[in-house]
Amino acid sequence: MFEKIKHRFRVMRAVAFVTYKEWSAYRTHSMVSIFVGPVYFLVQYYIWSAVYSGESSINGMSLSQMLSYFCATMLINYLTMDFADWNLQMLIRTGKFITFSLRPMNHMFYALSQKAGHRVLGLLFEFIPCFMIFFFIFHIDVLPANLLYAMLSIAMAFMMNFFIHYSIGMVAFWMVQSSSIRNFFSLCEGIFSGSLIPLVFFPKSLQLASFFLPFQYTTFLPAMVYTGSYTLADITLPIPQVLLLQLVAVIIAGIVCRVLYAVSLKHFTGVGA
Amino acid sequence: MKRMYQIYKTCMKANIASAITYRVNFILNSLIMLIGNVLFPLVTVFIYNSNASFEGWTFKEALLIQSVFILSTACAGIFFNGIMWNTMSHVVEGTLEVVLIKPTSSLFLLLARSFEFESIGLLGGGVVMFVYALSGIDGMTIGSWFLFLLLFGAGLLVMFGVALIVAAISFKWVANSRLPEMFESIKSFGRYPGTIFPKAVVAVSSFLFPVSMIAYFPASTLIGRWEAYFFIAIIPCALFAAFGIWLYTYMLRSYKSAGG
Repeated sequence: MFEKIKHRFRVMRAVAFVTYKEWSAYRTHSMVSIFVGPVYFLVQYYIWSAVYSGESSINGMSLSQMLSYFCATMLINYLTMDFADWNLQMLIRTGKFITFSLRPMNHMFYALSQKAGHRVLGLLFEFIPCFMIFFFIFHIDVLPANLLYAMLSIAMAFMMNFFIHYSIGMVAFWMVQSSSIRNFFSLCEGIFSGSLIPLVFFPKSLQLASFFLPFQYTTFLPAMVYTGSYTLADITLPIPQVLLLQLVAVIIAGIVCRVLYAVSLKHFTGVGA
Repeated sequence: MKRMYQIYKTCMKANIASAITYRVNFILNSLIMLIGNVLFPLVTVFIYNSNASFEGWTFKEALLIQSVFILSTACAGIFFNGIMWNTMSHVVEGTLEVVLIKPTSSLFLLLARSFEFESIGLLGGGVVMFVYALSGIDGMTIGSWFLFLLLFGAGLLVMFGVALIVAAISFKWVANSRLPEMFESIKSFGRYPGTIFPKAVVAVSSFLFPVSMIAYFPASTLIGRWEAYFFIAIIPCALFAAFGIWLYTYMLRSYKSAGG
């Protein structure tokens, strides 16, 4: 058992390293975030400064909490960003997916390993520079309230994002053109993940619904863990319980993704690569 | 001129035919664009629902700016934004020669091929929101509509300039699909009332990188809050588009291929 885990870890490390090297050639793609992140933050800064003029707190959040929240969501996104859905649908549509049936590892694990390598690049060329800019230039409190909790939550958000995107990518096993489904999903993700606006601004019914949707576990929840307090739908939970909630959600998403993968493979017909 | 019209019509027909080949995908994509853009000003909705506001702007006035931004984005999407992706793809694959050897202006041909019918959903979403926001605006006159159209047109020149500049940069900065994101982030300053930004930002977004012209200026004329400098800002918009055309043509001439 231990040997098997060790072997899997070695495989993951090898794939991640190759992906890192491959994407390093395009590191300027990641470095675009060094410009885009602070510009978007500036816009948010002016919007919320205008909105908070004369108000000390809106929906239980102060201006400084709001700004920290937006910085945290951006930084977390650099570590958990995923495009497994796009990649998978491209492999299926072009028939290249067939080559994975010849390899001694399943594609899902391979894609996860690729993501790990890709996000190391995100850590070096997006997270660290933007963290510095937010902290030293904008003087925003972007230090996590508890480093261990923040790391655990981000790691789970990483997995959650992967399971969701990979599951959406599997739609391509049934539909030749699945971009509409992926776009629909991106729309829901944009709204319910909390990256546009904290979920506490939503109507109470939608806040409650967010507990049962996978999206808040990728952005809102880790951002709140990062900033040190979690309240949604008037329910305030201590951080360890929040992490437990996230763990349950990740396990469920993982099981659903694995079952979908098994069913999808039976459905796949390759037409050459 | 007639020949160019024929070419443009043929490219439009080809794009529409290609879009409706995957009908379900096309309809869903258009619907998603429509819904997505109706939901786009969600931040504004939630801000006003929380009894907060952009000082001096009613909800529908703020919404009007955002709906004009969507209309402008939709027009750009339909008519010329595709040139960014087309150019990037031609440069990466080394297939630009196929365009260059055609007996017509390469820029025109690439623009004609950039016609994107799918953005019709975006236009629909923008119109729905625009009409809704207008229901809360009083005192519009034929004059204010005329000024609106004039400034809206100037805003489209900015969008056109941005599309060409991004496409031109992609000749040198090859295969960077995130290039448009850089310009998108700057454009986001044009989505909100200019009064929330400091004067320096307003100056830059009016005259240097005139993104305020995309939505804030045109919407303000309908509300009746226009100022003289809005019209002076038409000049940098025209210059911006002219710079885009010059840069794209220059890069096109200096294009070197490695074969496709």
